[in-house]
Amino acid sequence: MFDLEKSIGIWLRSFRKQRAYDEGAIQEMELHLRDHIEDLLSQGYSEEEAFGEAVEDFGDISPIAEEEFANIRVNTGVKSILFHAMLNNYFKTTLRSMMKNPLSSFINLFGLAVAIGTCMVAYAFIDNDYRIDRFHENKHSLYLTTCSINREGSVVEYGTTPAPLGAMLKADFPSIDNVCRMKSNSAIVRYEDKVFSERIHHVDPAFLEVFTFPLKWGLSNSLKSNSSIILSEKMSQKYFGDENPVGQTLKLLFGLERSKMFEITGVAEAFPDARIIDFDFLVNIENVSYANPDYNFNNWTEEIDATLILVKNEADLATIKSGMSKYKEVQNGIDADWPIQDFDFVSINDLHLASGRIRNDISYDATLEGRISLPIIAGFLLVLACFNYINIAIVSGAKRLKEIGLRKVIGANRRSIIVQFFSENLMLTALAALLGFVLAATLFLPWFASFAPVTDQFDLLDPTMWSFLIAILFLTAIFSGLYPAFYISRFQAVQIFSGKLKFGNKNLLTKVFLTLQLALTCVGIAFAIIMAQNSNYQMDRSWGYNPKQILYQYVGDASAFAKLEKKLLEHPEVLSVMGSAHHFSRSQSPITVHLPHTQLSVKELSIGEGYLENMGVSLKGGRWLQQDGRGDLDKILINEKMAQILDFQNPIGQSIKITEQSYDIVGVVRDVHFNDFYSDISPTIFSVTEKKDIRYLTIKFKEGSKHEVYQALKDYNTELFPEMPFLGGFQEDVWTGFYNQLKVQSTFSKVIALLFILLSSLGLYGLIQLNLAGRAKEFSVRKTLGASNLHLAFKILQQYAAIFIISVVLGAPLGYMLNDLLLDMMYPGPRPSGLSGSVLAAFLLIFILIAVMLTQINKVIKANPVEGLKTE
Amino acid sequence: MISKNLTAASTKPIILGILKQGNSYGYLIIKKIKELSGGKMKYSDGMLYPVLHRLEKEGLILSKWTLEGEKRPRKYYEITSLGKEELLAEQVQWNQVNAVLDNFWESKTSIN
Repeated sequence: MFDLEKSIGIWLRSFRKQRAYDEGAIQEMELHLRDHIEDLLSQGYSEEEAFGEAVEDFGDISPIAEEEFANIRVNTGVKSILFHAMLNNYFKTTLRSMMKNPLSSFINLFGLAVAIGTCMVAYAFIDNDYRIDRFHENKHSLYLTTCSINREGSVVEYGTTPAPLGAMLKADFPSIDNVCRMKSNSAIVRYEDKVFSERIHHVDPAFLEVFTFPLKWGLSNSLKSNSSIILSEKMSQKYFGDENPVGQTLKLLFGLERSKMFEITGVAEAFPDARIIDFDFLVNIENVSYANPDYNFNNWTEEIDATLILVKNEADLATIKSGMSKYKEVQNGIDADWPIQDFDFVSINDLHLASGRIRNDISYDATLEGRISLPIIAGFLLVLACFNYINIAIVSGAKRLKEIGLRKVIGANRRSIIVQFFSENLMLTALAALLGFVLAATLFLPWFASFAPVTDQFDLLDPTMWSFLIAILFLTAIFSGLYPAFYISRFQAVQIFSGKLKFGNKNLLTKVFLTLQLALTCVGIAFAIIMAQNSNYQMDRSWGYNPKQILYQYVGDASAFAKLEKKLLEHPEVLSVMGSAHHFSRSQSPITVHLPHTQLSVKELSIGEGYLENMGVSLKGGRWLQQDGRGDLDKILINEKMAQILDFQNPIGQSIKITEQSYDIVGVVRDVHFNDFYSDISPTIFSVTEKKDIRYLTIKFKEGSKHEVYQALKDYNTELFPEMPFLGGFQEDVWTGFYNQLKVQSTFSKVIALLFILLSSLGLYGLIQLNLAGRAKEFSVRKTLGASNLHLAFKILQQYAAIFIISVVLGAPLGYMLNDLLLDMMYPGPRPSGLSGSVLAAFLLIFILIAVMLTQINKVIKANPVEGLKTE
Repeated sequence: MISKNLTAASTKPIILGILKQGNSYGYLIIKKIKELSGGKMKYSDGMLYPVLHRLEKEGLILSKWTLEGEKRPRKYYEITSLGKEELLAEQVQWNQVNAVLDNFWESKTSIN
């Protein structure tokens, strides 16, 4: 039997072999043949005869195909795809399809915009970080000298150097162009009625030559004079407003007795934002000896903050390095306690990023966590938004099947469908990138800059930033758009029109993406909860003493202390007044303790009688120190950490050697956190302050008289020392900076978690809505057949239950581990342990998911089944 | 029977001429050509399509798929204004050729 359909099929196949034809052209030929056959059949031909006749009339396929080839140039280059994408009518189609599905379009657009915006903030942050201190013209030839010292078994690189080194380097190496030493300390600066405690940089006159800090007013070589001072723009503003202060005189007080007049000879231009090395006031380094007459530049045990060398040629550095051993020998011979093992040089260009490993250098690296976590967060958000896009694109593709089918019928081949969907995606991503950039520039970055070291504006002229934005755009477009485009385009028109095709609901990849997306959200929520838990934990954590009812003041010397003490003791609300050389969170000395086999660097706090008791420190064993009376000057207390390191069976009664003198341990006190919780507890000794060494005054006052006593203290100061700024405050405020940071961390992580929740619940909402819309008929049938609401809800939930569970099971532990890593970098001490944060995150996520589901279930339940059955 | 070359050369003006009378699709166009030529112009039907596609590419005609009710979809072709201009130009050229040839068959008028 002759089978017409089969014969036509075979005939068409021979067309497909000819690559000249796309599906549309083949369809056209097929229709031609069918029309012809129909005509012949109506003229009385048999099917077989009609087919034979029609095929013969149509002619040989290959010459026709060759003709057709002349019409077509196959071009698959990127250029042609882009050309298609940009210039074809797809822009209109994109807008049209966006308007058709406003909700999914909004979800996609908004999600991608938020993610891209976050990426831009991460870019700004990292870009800013990499620009730090790199604006100096000599950044590649200016080096900080560092020295490595073995401390307690580990070699530590220090940014500080012995004081005599600088002068010697300059004399010994002709390849060194310039040497600049820096040492900063604080002094009281006074101009008319303005009196503040300020940071003063003592530098070699070469400072303004080796660094690029141009002056706004004055002369940069003026530092050669010992009585010149150069101000930063900020300080000039602070003391003189907009006026040019060059020629004016400032009075600097170093301690209480030593003061000196300086003539302002220059004001620097405002510093670039991306900087760490800067100054407030510059004076000649010779003034160090004036401020501190004991300081000796020829003493190898004396330290200087920085010894910088400017080399003529970077290649000379190796020679200089190998010539450093002679200094090593000199230093080792003099300071046998801390022999330098090695000298090294770090260029200013690399210093900021190297600061993590160098101790006490003039730069620092406080942005490591940010450099790591921000790109991760931004990347996660981007992945989340892309998953949203992929899922919604695949499911909403189901709605557009007919469009795809028709386009295939009228001549679109697979490539052009891919191009169409991909260019729709590219268009949407471009819109999202634009929106994201606007969001980042107006909202995200200014907010972020309010607490992070980054400028609050994008540099619109920075080509790298634009390249980054475009790269992100294409990356996002490719990542989010390629799979849906290929997936949607692969269906055959015939399958589509025969109505046999169903997709979207059962797509495994959709499920995988949804699972990953929800797992990421779980990580995000866990991040926020654990951060908040940590903040609360750190805020409630005991400092090891009681900072309440304590007021402190830096008084400078014993006579000032005596004057204030006398007045304060008469005040009825003051419980006691203590004098000390050091003070918790404000002042301490690093010292070296000699042990039989090794030596230990510890902190020393020299304190007065009653100081520890009044501060609420508790004694673990032994007794307190007493000032003068019992001759406790050679007695010390140690903290628990120190006791642990010393490892005596009973430390009380033992003696240890500090520098040349031996001290007896009379007691052990519980550990106290002098500094914030970022730093670990150091081994510490407490010694007795002799009356003459008193620098700090500490008051314990009666409860409830906080403001009264504070006011009284300030009044006494104004009365006794009208020229001095008041340098003190409540002890409970000394950690304000740390607590503010904790609050910022907590807020930041909450915002991030909110973004995660927002993006994924929006995505889920859109996905479920599309999905349920596809199942409207099914639900209507179920309803008509009497399914209960509960049953319907169950049917809907069923589809997602496994996804929810897997994502939570994946996300919660992952969130815990990632947070653990991050917190580990930030806090050496204890922090809230356990999985409670992650478990809470998991519950919260499930709660949100169910809430999202319920809104949709509610819609299905309320829907009229008649409407559902009417839909196609 | 008209020679193959001449047939090929005249296809373009013929198609444009047919489409000028109204939109049509492939099968109908070829049917019309056969009718008009009384079978003297022998084509293989398939050869029409590369020509149509080329004309479309040159912008002389436009195509549009239509789905009418339950019938098969059809790809209709429509002449553009550029196509109309082209048809006029062709007309001038053919007339010129005709005029040249007329000189040679003077007295004999060509009959079928």
